[in-house]
Amino acid sequence: MTGLAPIDGLVILAILAKAIGYGAVLLAMGGVLFSVVFSQRAEVSVLRLARRLAVGAALIGLAVLAVRFGIRAARISGMGLEGASDPVMLGFVWESPLGTAAIWRGMGELAILAILVPRIGQWIAMAGTVAVAISFAQVGHALGEPRGALVVLLVLHLIAAAFWVGALVPLRRAALTPAGADILHYFGNVAAFGVALLIFAGTALAWLLAGSVTALFGTAYGLGLLLKVAIVAMLLGFAAFNKLRLVPALRTEIPGAAHALRQSISMEMLAVILILLATATLTSVTTPPVNL
Amino acid sequence: MIKQTLLGLAVAITPALAFAHSKSEATTPANDATVTEVPELSMRFDDPMRIISVTLTSPDGDVEIERATGMDPVKEFRAMPLEELSPGSYRFDWRGMASDGHPMQGSFSFTVTE
Repeated sequence: MTGLAPIDGLVILAILAKAIGYGAVLLAMGGVLFSVVFSQRAEVSVLRLARRLAVGAALIGLAVLAVRFGIRAARISGMGLEGASDPVMLGFVWESPLGTAAIWRGMGELAILAILVPRIGQWIAMAGTVAVAISFAQVGHALGEPRGALVVLLVLHLIAAAFWVGALVPLRRAALTPAGADILHYFGNVAAFGVALLIFAGTALAWLLAGSVTALFGTAYGLGLLLKVAIVAMLLGFAAFNKLRLVPALRTEIPGAAHALRQSISMEMLAVILILLATATLTSVTTPPVNL
Repeated sequence: MIKQTLLGLAVAITPALAFAHSKSEATTPANDATVTEVPELSMRFDDPMRIISVTLTSPDGDVEIERATGMDPVKEFRAMPLEELSPGSYRFDWRGMASDGHPMQGSFSFTVTE
């Protein structure tokens, strides 16, 4: 397979840690976005859940960041897990773009904790959300050219993805509240733009990194990306079904609608987990065709 | 509007795409080469690479080599076998980090004959 790096135990560990890190970051950013966008519409209990989700995810994100430093040090050292605590190796990782990314991400995740502070806190947390998104543009193939376009597209892609992923848990709870149907309907309308942005940014990034359509079929990166897109298509199917069928059913108070909607949202969560694993694999062991 | 602008931007600068991390371009001895002596082992990269660990193995086990290149990022890495290599097959493995932060690894093999 073209552009596929060797995979060993440490690489699998790195992929799992990265996927958990992605999940934590999207939930932290998304929890903040949800509580800001829905501050006037959602019930207090739902907003509280979103804020707790953001804080819990940000704390997990910080822990994963530290673990990933160790795994990266172990991978470059050639010493196995022993390298994870080797000061020289950790120093090399710190000096690399991962160090810069960690500063942005760590500061962003700390700022997200401010969501617990009334009023001003949500704006600090919003700044943190943007900082976390920017952190992803400090490392890996986002450092290539055209740098400006890659940074803007990646930040937009992450913010749109976070808005969607971070809303799933609060929405699942909202389906049980009296105002739930209206919130879900409103989310459907906002998310339609979000999804358009997500797909646009994702497609543009894929195009910049793949270079050509034929490169998609002959490389590990291309096949991984196609797998990711297939799961995204499945996720979109659930989302469309929710928006067009289940949410209207909930609004007209059809019996069992809330249960069906909550189940469908659970399926969306499962699809998100698969997408994060696919993305973590893609960004860890494959090389974009333009870099081959 | 924003989307159109971004798409325009993306289209306009696509040809300027550069390599985000380096690749091993050539090695001495060359991969799969058969040679009579190996005064030096070297690798060239198209972008600076921090080479962290290197090993040379023969069917009899690890062979000692001395690095002429330190651990700073370099475009050319050099190392020397401490003793003359006896006939047999050898494999050189390396691990390191590209300038974009990606952990990198690679290897090349060669055979020494009389």
